[in-house]
Parts: sequence; C-alpha cells; structure tokens
Amino acid sequence: MSGKITFILNNEKVESNGKPSDRLLDVLRNEFELTGVKCGCKEGECGACSVLIDGVLANSCVVALGSIHNCHVTTIEGYSKTKRFEVLSKAYANFSAVQCGFCIPGMVLASEALLSHNPHPTEAEIREGISGNLCRCTGYNAIVHAIQKAAEEGNGLW
Amino acid sequence: MVIVENGYIPADLAEALKIRGEQTVIPYAGGTDLMVDAEDHAYLFLNKVPELKRISEDETYLKIGAAATFTEILNYPGTPEILKAAIHYLAAPAIRNMATAGGNVSNASPKADSSLIFYVSDTLLKLASAKGERILPIEDFITGRGKTALQADELLVEFLMPKKGLENYYYEKVGARKALAISRVAFAGLFNMEGERITRCAAAFGSVADVVLRFRDFEAMMIGLTLPEAKAVKSEFLAKYDQAIVPIRGRVSADYRKHVCMNLLEDFLTQNGI
Ligand SMILES: Cc1cc2nc3c(=O)[nH]c(=O)nc-3n(C[C@H](O)[C@H](O)[C@H](O)COP(=O)(O)OP(=O)(O)OC[C@H]3O[C@@H](n4cnc5c(N)ncnc54)[C@H](O)[C@@H]3O)c2cc1C
Ligand code: FES
Ligand code: FES
Repeated sequence: MSGKITFILNNEKVESNGKPSDRLLDVLRNEFELTGVKCGCKEGECGACSVLIDGVLANSCVVALGSIHNCHVTTIEGYSKTKRFEVLSKAYANFSAVQCGFCIPGMVLASEALLSHNPHPTEAEIREGISGNLCRCTGYNAIVHAIQKAAEEGNGLW
Repeated sequence: MVIVENGYIPADLAEALKIRGEQTVIPYAGGTDLMVDAEDHAYLFLNKVPELKRISEDETYLKIGAAATFTEILNYPGTPEILKAAIHYLAAPAIRNMATAGGNVSNASPKADSSLIFYVSDTLLKLASAKGERILPIEDFITGRGKTALQADELLVEFLMPKKGLENYYYEKVGARKALAISRVAFAGLFNMEGERITRCAAAFGSVADVVLRFRDFEAMMIGLTLPEAKAVKSEFLAKYDQAIVPIRGRVSADYRKHVCMNLLEDFLTQNGI
C-alpha cells in the first residue's frame, strides 16, 4: 500500500503531505500551524517541542513523520481542551510558574505524561519527570510546586 | 506494508527483512540519534515491528527486542538491576520513551550506556536477513567507533542477555551528557563466587577508547582464586589494566578519564573483598 502518512492529531484524523523523513516538529508547526509546539534546539535536549505520541512524552524534533503513521499525537492545542489541562493551568498560575512561557507547552505535556502514569508523584519523581524540559526563567521550583498542587487538586482526574 | 515516497513501514519482521534485502534503506528505530542531523534518508521504520518490540525470557536469557524502548525495558519486570541502573542515567524520559537498545548499540559509540552493560554481561546479539540468522557476541558486532559487523541486508533483531549472576553488579557513570561531557566515564563490573572461589570478575569501561573496553585475558587471572589469593595478585591485575588502557591521544581529558576508570576498577575490587 502506498500513499500518505496519516495520523490522529488532537483527536482528528489527518493526512500529511510531508515526507516520512521530515521532523514531526516541522510538520506540526508548518503544515498544521500548531505553533504551541516550540522549537528550542532541534537536538532533543530542551523539551520545548514535547508532544504526546500514543500518550507517551516525546520530543517531536527527533521524531520522523514516518514513525507516527496511525498514531495518536497530542499537542498543547489539543490538550488545552481537557479538564486535566485546566487543573494544571490553574496550578501553574497560582505558583507564578509561567514567566516567558516558552517552555510551558512542553512542561505542561511533561506534567501530563508524569501524572497519567503516576498520579501522586514525590518531589524527586516530579523533577525526574520534567528533567528533559529546560526552563531558563523559573528555576523550576515554582513548576514543581505547581505539579504537586495539580496532583492534589486533580484528585481522581489522573 | 505502507510505502510513502522513500519511507517503508513494514507490518512485521519478514516484510522488514525483505525491504532491507532489496532496497538501500537506513533502519530507523527511535530516531534519537538519526534525527539530530535529520536528512532526507530512505528510512525503514522498525518502531512498530512486533517481533522487534518484544521482551521475553527463558531459563537462560532475557531476550530484548532490538526496537524495545528504554522505557519499555525499564518497565519489564524481569529486567536486571544492572541494566536498569544504566537506563536510569540515560537521558530524560522523553528520549528514553523513543530510544531503543538496538539503536544505542548499532550506533557503536563508546559512550553508549546500554552497550557497556551488554559487554560486561556477555550479551549475545541476534542478527537476521531474509536468508537467515546469526548470533554473535557484542564484542564481535562492534568493530570500531561507529562501525559494526552488520551487513547491508541485515537487521539487529534481539539481545540475548544471560540472566545468571547479574545481582552483584557495580555501575558508575561519572559526568553528564552535556555539562560534563568531557569528563564522562562509565564503568560496569560483575563479580561472582562459587564457594570460596571467584567465577567471574568482569569489568567494562565506556568512553575511554574507540569502543567499550573489556579484557577477558586479565579477568581470567582472577578466575578460580580465593579472595586472599586475589588480593595477592591485585596490584599485578591493576597494572595490566593501567598498561592496556591507552587514552585517545591528543585529548587532555583522556588522561583524566583513564584515571577515573582505574579508581573505579580498584573500588570494584575493594567492594568485593579484594
Ligand atoms: C538529548 C539526548 C540525550 C541522549 N543521552 C544519551 C545517554 O545518556 N546515553 C546514551 O547512551 N545515549 C544517549 N543519547 C543517544 C541516543 O538516544 C541513544 O543512542 C539511543 O539508544 C539510540 O536509539 P534509537 O532507537 O533512537 O536509534 P536511531 O536513531 O533510530 O538509530 C541509531 C542507529 O542505529 C541503527 N539501527 C537502529 N535500530 C537498528 C536495528 N534494529 N538494526 C540495525 N540497525 C539499527 C540506525 O540505522 C542508526 O544508524 C541521547 C540522545 C539525545 C538526543
Ligand atoms: S526542540 Fe526538540 S528538544 Fe529542543
Ligand atoms: S518560563 Fe521562560 S523558559 Fe520557562
């Protein structure tokens, strides 16, 4: 069978005109205009380009389009329509965990990936969970506290 | 099989091997090495090939599919602590979610964290082509920095990790990928005794040379000895390693890395009563 790469993007079936070897990051930003997926390094080091692939956290800059055929891809645009997002967003705001905001889409998806596997993480587990997401502004403590708070507030959601 | 332009998405191993034999393709597992300098390659996508994702075990071996991700290996109940320890220090969760052991080893970097564990544990690698299979030790698979014995029609299929005697391990990774990359060294050791006598004293060194280093002839010196006998030959044993580990020339940090390695080797012996 020959054709195009298709996948489920934020709960909607889509078809990409990209090549299998294209970076998922570029496809999401350029073809699908999902600019909440940020580009910080293109080397897998910063986490700004984080997305969920079949519920698993991935750096979309080091993922080739061809590897996600038929997968579910969730970006911050899709995730922001969920109840879980609301809880996280409120918690991030309460702790002033958002400064320039560049890392935040990735950070929020890393928070989701963590809480979906581990609804009551310890502080060390939270730090490990976001260890691939670099933030130049906050020094991380506010973000860690926000995730702790979200875990409490969102009891039962994760 | 799905074919989109120059990309191949096989449904199973047989399809993958067929394409591998007929086309010029680059195997793609997690992409975390390949995509760092993303080029328009013809990829053979292995990340959904069920036979390559499988992790299982029999009495002798833990069998790790080449395209199993490090997260999947970490979550498998039968994964030994020595391998978990190395994975724990390997990158961040998002990378571990995609990165595979097969990609790590195929890359043939002396820094590859899982390679070190496969070296010290005498892990065997199963390669396959449409014509058949062969099994070889990791030392024979990795032939140099960035070089392997993989033929153009072959894929790495599975790791066969002997399960016995992995409990008493020693593992240290010094320095992180970025900040301290220059001083990064990894060391793994396995030590076993039967009654009073040493049956295994395996040591492997990452990041000091072009390939992971392991010296079976030096290890053989210790086999069959009692602890007091081993103590008596300890300095001779260490001197052999000191002579054999030649830091990559022209790099100041190489001497430092060797120094760290020797300290770790000595600590490994000391912790085991030698
Ligand atoms: C931010 C970041 C941090 C990292 N940190 C570490 C670290 O701490 N330690 C470490 O060891 N590595 C690290 N790496 C390197 C990389 O993640 C690992 O080497 C990883 O295991 C590679 O696996 P992959 O599946 O992504 O390989 P890919 O990129 O898919 O492939 C790598 C190579 O292997 C070949 N290949 C893959 N599978 C097969 C197969 N089944 N048969 C034949 N050939 C095959 C490919 O053709 C390619 O040449 C890091 C990478 C990044 C981006
Ligand atoms: S842009 Fe992907 S990890 Fe930095
Ligand atoms: S808020 Fe600025 S990088 Fe994190």
